[in-house]
Amino acid sequence: MLKGADIVLQCLRAEGVELVFGYPGGAIMPLYDALEGSGVRHILTRHEQGAVFAAEGYARVTGKVGVAMATSGPGATNLVTGIADAKMDSVPLVCITGQVRSALIGTDAFQETDVFGVTLSLTKWSRLVRTIDEIPDAIDEGFYWARSGRPGQVVIDIPTDLLKAKKEFSGPVKFTPHARPADAKADGGFTDTIVALLQQSAKPVALVGAGAKLSGAIPELRRLLDSLNVPTFATVHGLGAVPPQAPYYLGMVGMHGTRAANMALHETDLLLVFGARLDDRVTGDPTRFAPHATIVHFEIDPAQLDRVRPCDLPVIGNLADTIPAFQAELRRHSLPDFSQWRAVACGAERAELDPRGLAQPTIRFLDELFSRLPQDNVVLADVGQHQMWAAQRYRSSSPRGFITSGGLGAMGFALPAAVGVQLAKPDTCVLCVSGDGGFQMNIQELATVHRLGLPVKMVIIDNKYLGMVRQWQQLFYQRNYAETDLSDNPDFVEIAKAYKIHSFRLNEDAMREFPVSSETGDQIDQFLHSPGPELLVFDCAPEANVFPMVPAGAALSEMLLEEEPTQ
Amino acid sequence: MQTFHIHYRNTQGTLMRILNAASRRALDLPLVQAEPAEHDHQVTLALDVNQKQVGQLCREWYGIADVIKVSSGAAHASAWATPHPPVGVPVEESRAAARA
Repeated sequence: MLKGADIVLQCLRAEGVELVFGYPGGAIMPLYDALEGSGVRHILTRHEQGAVFAAEGYARVTGKVGVAMATSGPGATNLVTGIADAKMDSVPLVCITGQVRSALIGTDAFQETDVFGVTLSLTKWSRLVRTIDEIPDAIDEGFYWARSGRPGQVVIDIPTDLLKAKKEFSGPVKFTPHARPADAKADGGFTDTIVALLQQSAKPVALVGAGAKLSGAIPELRRLLDSLNVPTFATVHGLGAVPPQAPYYLGMVGMHGTRAANMALHETDLLLVFGARLDDRVTGDPTRFAPHATIVHFEIDPAQLDRVRPCDLPVIGNLADTIPAFQAELRRHSLPDFSQWRAVACGAERAELDPRGLAQPTIRFLDELFSRLPQDNVVLADVGQHQMWAAQRYRSSSPRGFITSGGLGAMGFALPAAVGVQLAKPDTCVLCVSGDGGFQMNIQELATVHRLGLPVKMVIIDNKYLGMVRQWQQLFYQRNYAETDLSDNPDFVEIAKAYKIHSFRLNEDAMREFPVSSETGDQIDQFLHSPGPELLVFDCAPEANVFPMVPAGAALSEMLLEEEPTQ
Repeated sequence: MQTFHIHYRNTQGTLMRILNAASRRALDLPLVQAEPAEHDHQVTLALDVNQKQVGQLCREWYGIADVIKVSSGAAHASAWATPHPPVGVPVEESRAAARA
C-alpha cells in the first residue's frame, strides 16, 4: 500500500523528473512529507512565482518538462503568471497543486481556489483529481500533453486527502492518445510547390522562430539555410538557431529588430517562416507586414496559423520532418541567383545600428560583457529595455543560449529562471541581465541563489526608471513620465550583501573609454569567472533608449532609428 | 451567424475549453447545446463570426486534447482541415484563398 503522495513521486520519477521547484503549504504538505528518499530533488524558492519561473528556466534550457509545486489557494494562484508565460513561449510545464480536502471543495474553504477553473484558459490540459486511482493516469497523461506537439502547460490539482490516502500501486501507467480521423499534416505535395515559388522569387527571405529549437532540427535547418543562402533573420526566441556569423544572417526582426532584417522583411516577395507564430511584435501593422510576399509557414500547431496575417501555404508538421523533405526536393533543382538581392539586404549600409546607438555606454557594456563570456554560457534577460539591448547585442550559436520571457513579457522572470538554468547546467556560466524594475519583482530569489550557492552572474541595468515604459512615454506620451520613476530604488549592492552575495557597482562612465580600461576589463572578468554568485549593478543613463524601434501599429519599414517624437 | 458542431470526449474541462475559445474572442454565445452523441458528446454553437475567425476557431478547437471532430456549416470552413497545402492546388489559388 502506498500513499497518494508516494504514488505522485513515483510517477514523476517514471517520467524522468529529477528536479521540482516549489513552496510548501497546508494542502500539499503530504507531498512534501514524502519527498525524502523519493529520488525527486525539491528546490525551495521564496515565492511560488519564483518556483514556476525556475521550472521554466530548467525546461527552456534542457527541453525537458519543468515541474513546479504549490499549495492550494494563494500558492496555486501565484503560479498563474508562470503558466501564462510558458503558454506564450511553448515551454513544457507541469504544475502540481495541493487542493483542500475533497469534502470541502466548493465550500470556499480556507485556502481554496478553483485552480482548475482559474488556469483553464492557460493550460493545454488539466485535471482535478477525484480519486486516488486517477493519480497515475493524470500524471502520465499530463506529461504526454506537456511534451507533445507544441509543448504545453498542465495543471494537476490533487486534494490533500487523496495525497494521504493509501492504495495498492502496481506502477506507473502509459497514456495512449485517442486516434483522430483528420489530423492535418503536410504531405509530400508542399515541397515542389515551395521550390516553384523560390524559382519565381526575386527576393526570398527566411524567418526562424522558437519552433526551430523546440523541434530539435537545428542541424537540418542550418543545412537548409546554407542551401537557400537567402537573407535570414530570427525572432527573439529564434536567436541562436542561426549562427550569427552566417553571411546571410541579419539578426533579430520585429519591433526592436535590426534595420536590415526589418527592411528585408518589408521588401521580400517570398517569406519562408520556420516555427514562428508571427505575433504582433514581429509583424508590426499586420496589414502592412511583408506586403509583397507570398508566405510559406512551417508550423507544428495549426492553431498558430493565420492569427495575425494569413499565410499562403501552411506546412503543418514538426520541422524535424518537414525540413528534410524540403531539403531533399531542393537538391533536385537549381535555384535562381539571389546574390544581387542578398547584397542589398545584407549590405553594409543596413547592417548595424545607428553608430550613435552603438556608442551608447549600456550597449558598450553589454558588448564588453558578452565578449568576455566563457564559451559555455547561457544568457537570460528579464523584460524591458535591457532585454532588447541584450537580444540585439548577444551573438550566440546556441539555440538555447538566450532565454527570456518573450510572448508574455513577464517582468521578474529572469532571476528565478536563472536558478533553474544553473541547476540544469551547473558547469555553465549563467548570466542574468535584469532591469532595476524587474529585479525587484522577484528579488527574494537572491535567497535561493545564496542557499544553493549557485554561481549565477546577475547584472542590473539600473536606470532608475521603468525604462521601456518611460521610453514609450517619452516618444508617444509627450514625456509624461507617469509612475515610472524609480529614483528611490534601494541600494542593490547592500541588498545583495545582506543575502551574502558579492556585489559591486559599475558606472557607465567606465564605458566611455574605448577600449575599456584594463581595470574595468578585469572587474568584468572577475565577475564572470568567480566561482560563486555575483551581482553587478550597472548605472545607466536614465533616458537611454532602445533603437531601432517600430512604433506600435506602424509597419516594420517605419522604424525609428533615433529619438524623433512622432506625436 | 454560423453553426459549428464539435464532437468531443466529455472529459474534465473539454467543453469549457471549447467555449473559452469563443469567449476569449469576445464572441457572444447565443446558442450552446451540448448533448451525448454516440459514445461521446457533441456541442453545437451558433456564433456571429467573420471568415478569419472561422479558421482560427476551428483550428483552436481541434487543438484541444479531447476534441474529436470539428465541422461547420460555414461555406469557407472546410479548408482549415485539408492537407497542407492542398495537393494540386496552384499556389496562386491558395494565395487568393488566403487573402480572401
